[in-house]
Amino acid sequence: MSQVDRIRVVMAKPGLDSHYRGTMVVSRYLVQQGMEVVYVGNQTAEQIVRAVLAEDADVLGLSSLSGNHLATVPPILAGLRSSGLDDVLVLLGGIVPSADAEVLRAAGVHEIFGPGSELVTIARTIRERVARRAAPVAPAVTEGIAMA
Amino acid sequence: MSVRPQDTQTAATTDAGIPVDAVYTPERHPVRTPEPPGEPPFTRGVRPLMYRERPWAVRQLAGFGTPEDTNRRLRLLLEHGATAVNTVFDFPTNRGYDSDAPLARADAGQGGVAVDSVEDMVALYAGIPLDEVSVSIVVSHPVAAGVVLAMYLVAAERRGYRPEDLAGTLQNDFMMETVVLTAPSVLEPAFAFRLSTDVVEYCLQHVPRWNAISYTGYNYREAGADAVQEAALVVAHAVATAEEMVRRGHPVDTFASRLTAFFSADNDFFEEIAKYRAARRVYARVFAERLGAREPRSRMLRYHVQTAGSALTAQQPLNNVTRSAYHALAAVLGGAQSLHVSAYDEALSIPSESAALTALHTQHILRHETGVDRTADPLAGSHYVESLTDAVEQRVYELLARIDALGGLVAAVEQGWVHKHLLANAYERQLAIDDGTRTVVGVNRFRSDEPLHIDPFRVPATLEPQEDKLRRLRAGRDGARVRAALDALRDTAASGRNTMPPLLEAVRAGATLGECSEVFRDLHGGWRQPLI
Repeated sequence: MSQVDRIRVVMAKPGLDSHYRGTMVVSRYLVQQGMEVVYVGNQTAEQIVRAVLAEDADVLGLSSLSGNHLATVPPILAGLRSSGLDDVLVLLGGIVPSADAEVLRAAGVHEIFGPGSELVTIARTIRERVARRAAPVAPAVTEGIAMA
Repeated sequence: MSVRPQDTQTAATTDAGIPVDAVYTPERHPVRTPEPPGEPPFTRGVRPLMYRERPWAVRQLAGFGTPEDTNRRLRLLLEHGATAVNTVFDFPTNRGYDSDAPLARADAGQGGVAVDSVEDMVALYAGIPLDEVSVSIVVSHPVAAGVVLAMYLVAAERRGYRPEDLAGTLQNDFMMETVVLTAPSVLEPAFAFRLSTDVVEYCLQHVPRWNAISYTGYNYREAGADAVQEAALVVAHAVATAEEMVRRGHPVDTFASRLTAFFSADNDFFEEIAKYRAARRVYARVFAERLGAREPRSRMLRYHVQTAGSALTAQQPLNNVTRSAYHALAAVLGGAQSLHVSAYDEALSIPSESAALTALHTQHILRHETGVDRTADPLAGSHYVESLTDAVEQRVYELLARIDALGGLVAAVEQGWVHKHLLANAYERQLAIDDGTRTVVGVNRFRSDEPLHIDPFRVPATLEPQEDKLRRLRAGRDGARVRAALDALRDTAASGRNTMPPLLEAVRAGATLGECSEVFRDLHGGWRQPLI
């Protein structure tokens, strides 16, 4: 990625799940890959949505290993929609049984990374999906601002 | 087919980076067989006859949902041959939140059992003879550990037990709160450490058979530590507690025998065995030479082992039965006092009943079929095992010196030194798995696309019953007495006196876990973990 237009990622742990090793490992890798990562830790849905807004994030990375995902993730997705943040890429990592994964994908989670996921896959997914979203409008807008 | 070239030789270092030769000989690796088991510095074990004298405790971890749900699982395990109880508490309980707190609701009953008040502790251990069965209470964060122990003591008191009847262990480890795990409002390390020592001090004076602390090497390991760091952090932590207790006026031989540890058993089979042997030796020497302990029991490192959860895979989950059995074998060959074998579905969900029973039976097979418990420390004198034990020992001493140079363990945590090393290891390990230099069967080699045949365990509805109980509790208690008790707790916590007596009064008055923990968070919460 270019240094001037770095992908911005907010990483959060909804609820009280306290396993943060995975979040830290992924965050460190994404930083190595040139992304900007803000880790906000344990937060409520409202706080997470506010952080995404405040950080102008392209990506929200959620982590849940406690089994709280069905209760915590849908309110975050609803909060993003009602704040006009529909274009934020939402990723979920952790322990999510496949039946729950279907429910959460249908609710708007874009990708779910279970145990054994490779870091390179996570980074590639982010780059491809963010590029796809940005492609139709971003170059023109950027140029417009540069020219003005 | 994989295009990866076949291994021509296995790695020439252990997981912790200790060089390993292809062959060990007396000429190139002269080693001395250590003192017999039961003799300081206890390299070969803490008892002269080891498992012939006292078998390891079969202590399978259990906890989910409501106290009533977990009570049924505890009794099931005891009926199937478990010899001790090991209860894990849910995320809100470990962090000191009531089930109905806004941040807690989604995690009520997840990862452990929900406990909000004394009533829950009564229900949790109903029907279990607390004077006969040793009870391990896996509440690690000092923000909540003393509170939960107070609830246990009051629940036992209601059932007619005296404090001296009770045997068990409280985890009570400040590094769990400040390094290993995360929470919305983390206590300052020095305060969390002080609360943990309050429990040690209180138990010394009032609950003499209780192990008031269990240094959670297992969890340091799960957070990223290697075997050497795990052992060094456990010893450094015990030194910190002991020095603080001595500073409070308690001679080391009055309390040191109640300090215990909790280790992991991970993949590198011989290094794990060497770790246990080296840790016992270093611990015994440090307690004698540095702290002046004279009683042999003060110098014994006694510990529980849990087979490594982070070594288990979601892919090909039945392979985890095999992994955990090897881990358990290492724990027993290393001389553990107590053992939990992890269940094969742990990377997928809370263990199902059938997976929990398979794990329990793994222990029965080890004990009753393999004969590994016939003789104490059977690997003693092996040139490889003794050399590796010496190498681990030397590296543990080096790390202890570095921690001392930073000003001790609490200072090392405050400065982010422990975080930095653990997270760096975790990161390097993941890179090594991703690039294939570290093999994980079913994940980066020998993969298969067969569908999983595991039904993930579903935690029963917990929030609603806990909410009901909390409503009834708050309506039925004497509000003025609760407020006075919480005020007294705050005054004591602010003054530096021991927080356990006012905690006991608060829980007797009907204060909830969240109300007590909030007093601590209000005084010293909000510490930011130095993560990068």
